[in-house]
Amino acid sequence: MLRTAAQRALNGAFVSPKQLGVLVTRGAGDAKKPAQIEVFIDDKPVLVDPGTTVLQAAALVGVEIPRFCYHERLAVAGNCRMCLVEVEKSPKPVAACAMPVMKGWRIKTDSEMTKKAREGVMEFLLVNHPLDCPICDQGGECDLQDQSMAFGSDRSRFTDIDFSGKRAVEDKDIGPLIKTIMTRCIHCTRCIRFASEVAGIDDLGTTGRGADMQVGTYVEKFFLSELSGNVIDLCPVGALTSKPYAFTARPWEIRRTDSIDVLDAVGSNIVVCTRTGEVLRILPRTNEEVNEEWLSDKSRFAYDGLKRQRLVSPMVKVDGQLQPVDWETALIAIGKKIKSAGSDIGVIAGGMADAEALVALKDLINKLGSEDVCTENPFPVNGSGTDLRSSYLLNNTIASAEEADVVLLVGTNIRLEAPLLNARIRKGYVHNETEIGVIGPQVDLRYDYTHVGDDPCSIKDLENGNDTFAKCLKNAKKPLIIVGQDALNRPDGSGVLLAAQSLAALIQKNVQDPQWKVLNILHKVAGQVAALDVGYVPGYEKLKDNSKLKVIYLLGADEAIERSQFPSDCFIIYQGHHGDCGAAIADAVLPGAAYTEKQATYVNTEGRAQQTLVAVSPPGLAREDWKIIRALSEFVGQRLPYDNLDQIRCRLEEIAPHLTRYGNVESANYFSQALALALKESATVNKKPISVTQKSLEDFYMTDVISRASATMAKCVTAYKTQQCSKY
Amino acid sequence: MISLKNIARLWQKGLVRNLQTSSALQHDALFVHRDTAEDNPDIKFEFSPENLKRVDAILAIYPEGHKRAAMIPLLDLAQRQYGWLPLSAMHKVAEILDLPRMRVYEVATFYTMFIRKPIGKYHLQVCTTTPCWLRGSDDILSTIKNHLKINVGDTTCDKLFSLSEVECLGACVNAPMVQINDDYYEDLTCDDMIEILDELKDGKRPRAGPRNGRYASEPLGQPTSLTSEPPGPGFGIRSDL
Amino acid sequence: MNYTGLSKLFSVFRIIKESGGLRASLYKLYRMDELKVGTLMGTDKYGNKYFENNRFFYGRNRWVEYAPYYRLEYDGSQVPAEWFGWLHYKTDFTPDNDPGRPKYKWMLDHTENLSGTPQQYVPYSTTTQKIDAWKPPCPK
Repeated sequence: MLRTAAQRALNGAFVSPKQLGVLVTRGAGDAKKPAQIEVFIDDKPVLVDPGTTVLQAAALVGVEIPRFCYHERLAVAGNCRMCLVEVEKSPKPVAACAMPVMKGWRIKTDSEMTKKAREGVMEFLLVNHPLDCPICDQGGECDLQDQSMAFGSDRSRFTDIDFSGKRAVEDKDIGPLIKTIMTRCIHCTRCIRFASEVAGIDDLGTTGRGADMQVGTYVEKFFLSELSGNVIDLCPVGALTSKPYAFTARPWEIRRTDSIDVLDAVGSNIVVCTRTGEVLRILPRTNEEVNEEWLSDKSRFAYDGLKRQRLVSPMVKVDGQLQPVDWETALIAIGKKIKSAGSDIGVIAGGMADAEALVALKDLINKLGSEDVCTENPFPVNGSGTDLRSSYLLNNTIASAEEADVVLLVGTNIRLEAPLLNARIRKGYVHNETEIGVIGPQVDLRYDYTHVGDDPCSIKDLENGNDTFAKCLKNAKKPLIIVGQDALNRPDGSGVLLAAQSLAALIQKNVQDPQWKVLNILHKVAGQVAALDVGYVPGYEKLKDNSKLKVIYLLGADEAIERSQFPSDCFIIYQGHHGDCGAAIADAVLPGAAYTEKQATYVNTEGRAQQTLVAVSPPGLAREDWKIIRALSEFVGQRLPYDNLDQIRCRLEEIAPHLTRYGNVESANYFSQALALALKESATVNKKPISVTQKSLEDFYMTDVISRASATMAKCVTAYKTQQCSKY
Repeated sequence: MISLKNIARLWQKGLVRNLQTSSALQHDALFVHRDTAEDNPDIKFEFSPENLKRVDAILAIYPEGHKRAAMIPLLDLAQRQYGWLPLSAMHKVAEILDLPRMRVYEVATFYTMFIRKPIGKYHLQVCTTTPCWLRGSDDILSTIKNHLKINVGDTTCDKLFSLSEVECLGACVNAPMVQINDDYYEDLTCDDMIEILDELKDGKRPRAGPRNGRYASEPLGQPTSLTSEPPGPGFGIRSDL
Repeated sequence: MNYTGLSKLFSVFRIIKESGGLRASLYKLYRMDELKVGTLMGTDKYGNKYFENNRFFYGRNRWVEYAPYYRLEYDGSQVPAEWFGWLHYKTDFTPDNDPGRPKYKWMLDHTENLSGTPQQYVPYSTTTQKIDAWKPPCPK
């Protein structure tokens, strides 16, 4: 089943048992399922599939076997030996993580031999591990600490009679995100396996042998990947820790709030760790359907951007200069302007606007008699436009991307736009022989792909063509077409969408699985799907042409917005959490809350509604966005009929019920109707090559107001440039 | 009163702890790369035309998809061509095998016979494990040290000889022995060693093998056991059977 | 007269008269919650007047009438240090009659307690700000 190309042969030789399980069950669909075998864990019988490891079988009956190197999402290495257990009639203990069970095995996880083996392994590990827990950032969440308490001996035989010192390894500099204290490394090789299998960056490895073995890069090189931060979570000890978080807090002092990431459209589940009203770090939260347990570096490390360039009080322009004022003054001034503008008011909603604020603002503007509610990010509106959700969703869900056998990526650098979706595709590529084709620039996706063409005409060529990839795509059982925003934001965007729709319709016929949806649209920003769901018009072209416009309301719209795009006498209100392009051109500024500071609804690119929770309170006078709009509505004289979160959520439900069904994907199905509507208008494509905005890793780190304000992200960009100049 | 003299006396008795800055228990080789004038990625390394043919021959042994198994032979080939294994040679091997460079570094640092720093033309590897040691390998070693005026781990100024102390090379019956590049010089005396070194200095290739007149590992002179005729059938069996 | 209680009535009239009439007396009563007359012992540079009337018992026989411009916003800290001693019976010398009282050039003017006013002393924070606020760009 595995790709045997040389790059993956090292670890590819092992299949992660979890994967194996998936592959076995998948393959077993038509073949006869092999009989289950019975084994006994501590005399408790359990029936398992052949090929299950001892460790997995034990997990089935709720027995947890200690481990360091084993990780369910990585290949089995079997080198830490912590999972040794006794098997009856076996003279030696066996490594539970790597040993498949045999029929009738009686496994003893609590016997004398097992305990002694664990104690012995623990003792060896600790002989070569420094006793620097008091100054170690992993302290309190360290597997080695926990397991030495649970399974280790209560005394040590390590007496260094020669005072010759313990093993010491020099630290490595692998970039601005990961701090290394390599003396603490216990050589579990999880980081190496992650880099090689998931991230696809083979820069980490072991050098040397025996007691001198060390994990590192051998040459002086940064470990730069869009997923690099995950090795911090993977490291069972304090060898790899977070550099920005170094020496900040202990895990038991931290308050944890479950939330949602909004820096890309994937909607990764996160835990926001706070103390004393300050976000200290962001960790991933396991959600098998979205981000597994990974998180992209931007989502993980851009939190320091939440503390810089913040809007902390309302501002109104006095004598051409924005001056901080109190809420009442600001709302009165803005209310007057809006009242006098009447219906000549337009709204541009940015990429991080939450559904509550979007709905409140749309309600207010509609009450004022205007329909000019737009999003900052465009999307083709010809044909069915955004009326049918299937035209703008990643219909087939993120999780099932790893099952695809052929993937066609159109105009997207998916590795940087949705790193976790790319990790899924890469997983399929490594374990499932997925064929990948790319239309657009040849960017580095960390896997091999067929470059089908540069311009959108290649989509049509695929439909009619007969080359290898076209055949492959047409014969695929589970094909995916993922269209990126850079392909759709062109002047011929609707043509591209139509071409993709008709190609998808052609391929869909071969797909047997009724749940499988070929056409998928990938968004770049977290707020776009919710905005389209509640009826915002994508793109603000029509506001640019409208010379009557008197007031423009920017709801966090910050990307390339310029004063000159609008009539010179028009009054610009900016509501958002960061001072950037939008606030700089505004006549009045209303400070809103960032995603860690409000309970708000976001819909990710697959149409899954999720909510953020309040981790810290908004800084200064800043308030939750929908509340600001609600307050403003009183000053405008059009009171909005909701006073608390429940009431506005009811309003959300009225508009689109899926917005409050948190955690669920609301799927869309009208593909053929969308295609029929699109065919009515003859949209064509031109030969201009598609370009993507994020070309290399350098463009990944700073894409929105939060990451642009983040010093850590700026350091990453510098590190990338340094690395480009390096000889390695 | 504590005087320096007192401290020194205590120190001599081993009662005072030595100051220690880092671990003493370390390998003599470094397992990270440091750019030096001799070894940096800017140095060009190309296989010679005849070695390129060998590369093809080595690669042909391994089936498609398992070409990475050729890594060790290729690294060895590069080392034979260059004398030692510079970083650029590892990069070249990675390029030939289409592997990430790290995978090659891992292998090259694992095996001690891949030498990753400049070394003399003749690598003298003196076995000092027990059988050789009992047969006088210490004398052989000190002879080399005195004759070449180098210590273990050093290279002579003319870049001709490098001296290493190694563990058992599997020629215990011919102890003491020295391996010089690919050749074993066995049953050595100090005079033999000087002769070998001088011949190498003159550019000659000394005769490899035992130096005391033996052909291989047979007993010196006459056999010391099993000297009589072998007894015939029925030897030692009861007469009534 | 004493037996009829009329003397008390007359003293009321006298106090009202010495306080400057009915209207002034009412204002004084409103402002200070009492109407007392006594010998003016002195006035400080801020306009506060210091009185003594030994008809009242010890502890009540010395008092200050704050300068009119304070209106109702008077408090104890507006009494300067030199009058403080006399007012609190630390000395019987009023400041202008006190031979032993030192007078140096470097002595600072008295200031009242500024707590709770915009001029109050606020120790500056040595910790870094958790939030770095955006500063709007200056117009060109």
